[in-house]
Amino acid sequence: MQNLLNKLKSVDATVKKESLYIASVTGILSLLLQAVFLIARHWDYTVLLGNILGAVTAAGNFFLMGITVQKAVAKEKKPAADLMKFSQTARLLMQLVVAVLGFALPCFNGYAVIIPLFFPRIAIMIRPFIK
Amino acid sequence: MLELAIGIILGCCALGAGAAMIAGIGPGIGEGNAVAAACEAIGRQPESKGDVTSTMLMGCAVAETTGLYALVIAILLIFVAPRMLVNILMEAVGK
Repeated sequence: MQNLLNKLKSVDATVKKESLYIASVTGILSLLLQAVFLIARHWDYTVLLGNILGAVTAAGNFFLMGITVQKAVAKEKKPAADLMKFSQTARLLMQLVVAVLGFALPCFNGYAVIIPLFFPRIAIMIRPFIK
Repeated sequence: MLELAIGIILGCCALGAGAAMIAGIGPGIGEGNAVAAACEAIGRQPESKGDVTSTMLMGCAVAETTGLYALVIAILLIFVAPRMLVNILMEAVGK
Protein backbone atom coordinates (compact mmCIF):
# COMPACT_ATOMS: atom_id res chain seq x y z
CA MET A 1 0.00 0.00 0.00
CA GLN A 2 2.82 2.36 0.97
CA ASN A 3 4.61 1.35 -2.23
CA LEU A 4 1.54 2.25 -4.30
CA LEU A 5 1.23 5.61 -2.55
CA ASN A 6 4.89 6.36 -3.22
CA LYS A 7 4.39 5.47 -6.89
CA LEU A 8 1.34 7.76 -7.07
CA LYS A 9 3.39 10.58 -5.55
CA SER A 10 5.98 10.20 -8.28
CA VAL A 11 3.36 10.82 -10.99
CA ASP A 12 3.95 14.08 -12.87
CA ALA A 13 1.75 17.04 -11.83
CA THR A 14 0.59 17.56 -15.44
CA VAL A 15 -0.52 13.94 -15.71
CA LYS A 16 -2.38 14.20 -12.38
CA LYS A 17 -4.09 17.43 -13.43
CA GLU A 18 -5.19 16.13 -16.85
CA SER A 19 -6.29 12.76 -15.44
CA LEU A 20 -8.36 14.52 -12.80
CA TYR A 21 -10.02 16.68 -15.47
CA ILE A 22 -10.78 13.63 -17.65
CA ALA A 23 -12.10 11.65 -14.66
CA SER A 24 -14.34 14.56 -13.59
CA VAL A 25 -15.86 15.04 -17.05
CA THR A 26 -16.26 11.27 -17.44
CA GLY A 27 -18.13 11.22 -14.11
CA ILE A 28 -20.43 14.07 -15.15
CA LEU A 29 -21.12 12.50 -18.55
CA SER A 30 -21.80 9.16 -16.82
CA LEU A 31 -24.50 10.84 -14.74
CA LEU A 32 -25.95 12.26 -17.97
CA LEU A 33 -25.91 8.77 -19.52
CA GLN A 34 -27.78 7.40 -16.52
CA ALA A 35 -30.32 10.19 -16.91
CA VAL A 36 -30.77 9.38 -20.61
CA PHE A 37 -31.37 5.70 -19.82
CA LEU A 38 -33.84 6.70 -17.09
CA ILE A 39 -35.75 9.03 -19.41
CA ALA A 40 -35.80 6.35 -22.13
CA ARG A 41 -37.17 3.91 -19.51
CA HIS A 42 -34.36 1.42 -20.18
CA TRP A 43 -32.65 1.86 -16.82
CA ASP A 44 -31.86 -1.11 -14.59
CA TYR A 45 -28.91 -2.12 -12.41
CA THR A 46 -27.01 -3.52 -15.44
CA VAL A 47 -26.85 0.00 -16.91
CA LEU A 48 -25.33 1.34 -13.68
CA LEU A 49 -22.79 -1.49 -13.41
CA GLY A 50 -21.89 -1.23 -17.10
CA ASN A 51 -21.51 2.53 -16.83
CA ILE A 52 -19.22 2.19 -13.80
CA LEU A 53 -17.09 -0.42 -15.59
CA GLY A 54 -16.83 1.68 -18.77
CA ALA A 55 -16.12 4.95 -16.95
CA VAL A 56 -13.44 3.44 -14.71
CA THR A 57 -11.82 1.84 -17.76
CA ALA A 58 -11.89 5.10 -19.73
CA ALA A 59 -10.41 7.19 -16.90
CA GLY A 60 -7.91 4.45 -16.02
CA ASN A 61 -6.86 4.14 -19.66
CA PHE A 62 -6.12 7.87 -19.78
CA PHE A 63 -4.16 7.73 -16.51
CA LEU A 64 -2.12 4.76 -17.75
CA MET A 65 -1.45 6.64 -20.98
CA GLY A 66 -0.28 9.62 -18.92
CA ILE A 67 2.14 7.44 -16.92
CA THR A 68 3.46 5.94 -20.15
CA VAL A 69 3.95 9.40 -21.65
CA GLN A 70 5.76 10.52 -18.48
CA LYS A 71 8.10 7.54 -18.72
CA ALA A 72 8.52 7.88 -22.48
CA VAL A 73 9.60 11.53 -22.47
CA ALA A 74 12.52 10.60 -20.20
CA LYS A 75 13.84 8.18 -22.84
CA GLU A 76 15.54 8.51 -26.21
CA LYS A 77 13.44 8.84 -29.39
CA LYS A 78 13.36 5.20 -30.52
CA PRO A 79 12.74 3.53 -27.12
CA ALA A 80 10.11 6.18 -26.37
CA ALA A 81 8.22 5.40 -29.59
CA ASP A 82 8.45 1.65 -28.93
CA LEU A 83 7.21 2.05 -25.36
CA MET A 84 4.25 4.10 -26.56
CA LYS A 85 3.34 1.53 -29.25
CA PHE A 86 3.50 -1.30 -26.73
CA SER A 87 1.45 0.66 -24.21
CA GLN A 88 -1.20 1.54 -26.78
CA THR A 89 -1.55 -2.11 -27.85
CA ALA A 90 -1.81 -3.28 -24.24
CA ARG A 91 -4.40 -0.63 -23.38
CA LEU A 92 -6.44 -1.40 -26.51
CA LEU A 93 -6.44 -5.08 -25.48
CA MET A 94 -7.57 -4.07 -22.00
CA GLN A 95 -10.47 -2.12 -23.50
CA LEU A 96 -11.30 -5.05 -25.78
CA VAL A 97 -11.50 -7.38 -22.77
CA VAL A 98 -13.71 -4.88 -20.93
CA ALA A 99 -16.01 -4.48 -23.94
CA VAL A 100 -16.28 -8.27 -24.43
CA LEU A 101 -17.03 -8.70 -20.71
CA GLY A 102 -19.66 -5.97 -21.00
CA PHE A 103 -21.47 -7.77 -23.80
CA ALA A 104 -20.86 -11.34 -22.58
CA LEU A 105 -21.80 -11.03 -18.90
CA PRO A 106 -25.51 -10.57 -18.15
CA CYS A 107 -24.83 -8.26 -15.19
CA PHE A 108 -23.57 -5.52 -17.56
CA ASN A 109 -25.42 -3.57 -20.23
CA GLY A 110 -23.08 -3.71 -23.25
CA TYR A 111 -23.98 -0.28 -24.58
CA ALA A 112 -23.50 1.27 -21.12
CA VAL A 113 -19.99 -0.20 -21.11
CA ILE A 114 -19.05 0.94 -24.62
CA ILE A 115 -20.38 4.52 -24.55
CA PRO A 116 -18.27 5.78 -21.57
CA LEU A 117 -15.10 4.68 -23.40
CA PHE A 118 -15.64 7.73 -25.64
CA PHE A 119 -16.09 10.20 -22.78
CA PRO A 120 -12.38 11.21 -22.62
CA ARG A 121 -12.62 12.21 -26.30
CA ILE A 122 -15.68 14.35 -25.52
CA ALA A 123 -13.84 15.82 -22.51
CA ILE A 124 -10.99 16.91 -24.79
CA MET A 125 -13.45 18.28 -27.34
CA ILE A 126 -15.22 20.52 -24.78
CA ARG A 127 -11.99 21.59 -23.04
CA PRO A 128 -11.59 24.92 -24.94
CA PHE A 129 -15.10 25.93 -23.85
CA ILE A 130 -14.44 25.07 -20.19
CA LYS A 131 -11.18 27.06 -20.11
CA MET B 1 -29.08 -24.19 -47.56
CA LEU B 2 -30.24 -22.11 -44.61
CA GLU B 3 -27.37 -23.42 -42.48
CA LEU B 4 -24.94 -22.42 -45.21
CA ALA B 5 -26.39 -18.90 -45.34
CA ILE B 6 -26.14 -18.58 -41.55
CA GLY B 7 -22.57 -19.87 -41.67
CA ILE B 8 -21.66 -17.30 -44.31
CA ILE B 9 -23.21 -14.52 -42.20
CA LEU B 10 -21.30 -15.59 -39.08
CA GLY B 11 -18.06 -16.01 -41.04
CA CYS B 12 -18.37 -12.62 -42.70
CA CYS B 13 -19.10 -10.97 -39.33
CA ALA B 14 -15.97 -12.56 -37.83
CA LEU B 15 -13.89 -11.56 -40.88
CA GLY B 16 -15.26 -8.01 -40.70
CA ALA B 17 -14.43 -7.78 -36.99
CA GLY B 18 -10.89 -8.95 -37.68
CA ALA B 19 -10.51 -6.48 -40.55
CA ALA B 20 -11.84 -3.64 -38.38
CA MET B 21 -9.20 -4.31 -35.75
CA ILE B 22 -6.46 -3.61 -38.33
CA ALA B 23 -7.29 0.04 -37.62
CA GLY B 24 -5.98 -0.54 -34.10
CA ILE B 25 -2.43 -0.53 -35.46
CA GLY B 26 -2.59 3.08 -36.67
CA PRO B 27 -2.95 4.91 -33.33
CA GLY B 28 0.01 3.00 -31.88
CA ILE B 29 2.28 4.12 -34.69
CA GLY B 30 0.91 7.68 -34.53
CA GLU B 31 1.36 7.95 -30.77
CA GLY B 32 4.87 6.54 -31.07
CA ASN B 33 5.79 9.22 -33.60
CA ALA B 34 4.20 11.96 -31.47
CA VAL B 35 6.10 10.88 -28.37
CA ALA B 36 9.36 10.63 -30.32
CA ALA B 37 8.87 14.20 -31.57
CA ALA B 38 7.98 15.36 -28.04
CA CYS B 39 11.20 13.80 -26.68
CA GLU B 40 13.12 15.81 -29.24
CA ALA B 41 11.23 19.01 -28.35
CA ILE B 42 11.78 18.54 -24.60
CA GLY B 43 15.45 17.79 -25.25
CA ARG B 44 15.74 21.10 -27.10
CA GLN B 45 13.68 23.13 -24.59
CA PRO B 46 13.52 21.36 -21.21
CA GLU B 47 11.56 24.23 -19.63
CA SER B 48 8.57 23.49 -21.90
CA LYS B 49 8.18 19.93 -20.56
CA GLY B 50 4.83 20.60 -18.82
CA ASP B 51 3.21 22.21 -21.85
CA VAL B 52 4.53 19.59 -24.27
CA THR B 53 3.38 16.72 -22.03
CA SER B 54 -0.08 18.25 -21.61
CA THR B 55 -0.55 18.87 -25.33
CA MET B 56 0.80 15.44 -26.21
CA LEU B 57 -1.50 13.70 -23.70
CA MET B 58 -4.51 15.31 -25.34
CA GLY B 59 -3.20 14.50 -28.81
CA CYS B 60 -2.58 10.88 -27.88
CA ALA B 61 -6.08 10.56 -26.41
CA VAL B 62 -7.58 11.93 -29.62
CA ALA B 63 -5.45 9.59 -31.75
CA GLU B 64 -6.50 6.66 -29.61
CA THR B 65 -10.18 7.25 -30.32
CA THR B 66 -9.62 5.96 -33.87
CA GLY B 67 -8.62 2.61 -32.42
CA LEU B 68 -11.66 2.72 -30.16
CA TYR B 69 -13.98 3.21 -33.14
CA ALA B 70 -12.49 0.08 -34.70
CA LEU B 71 -12.90 -1.77 -31.41
CA VAL B 72 -16.57 -0.82 -31.15
CA ILE B 73 -17.23 -1.85 -34.76
CA ALA B 74 -15.55 -5.22 -34.10
CA ILE B 75 -17.52 -5.77 -30.89
CA LEU B 76 -20.81 -4.90 -32.60
CA LEU B 77 -19.96 -7.21 -35.52
CA ILE B 78 -19.33 -10.08 -33.11
CA PHE B 79 -22.09 -9.60 -30.53
CA VAL B 80 -24.91 -7.65 -32.22
CA ALA B 81 -24.77 -8.04 -36.02
CA PRO B 82 -24.95 -11.88 -36.30
CA ARG B 83 -28.21 -12.12 -34.32
CA MET B 84 -29.72 -9.20 -36.23
CA LEU B 85 -28.72 -10.55 -39.66
CA VAL B 86 -29.86 -14.09 -38.86
CA ASN B 87 -33.22 -12.71 -37.71
CA ILE B 88 -33.56 -10.78 -40.98
CA LEU B 89 -32.71 -13.97 -42.90
CA MET B 90 -35.25 -16.00 -40.92
CA GLU B 91 -37.94 -13.42 -41.60
CA ALA B 92 -37.05 -13.41 -45.30
CA VAL B 93 -37.43 -17.19 -45.61
CA GLY B 94 -40.52 -17.14 -43.38
CA LYS B 95 -39.22 -19.23 -40.45
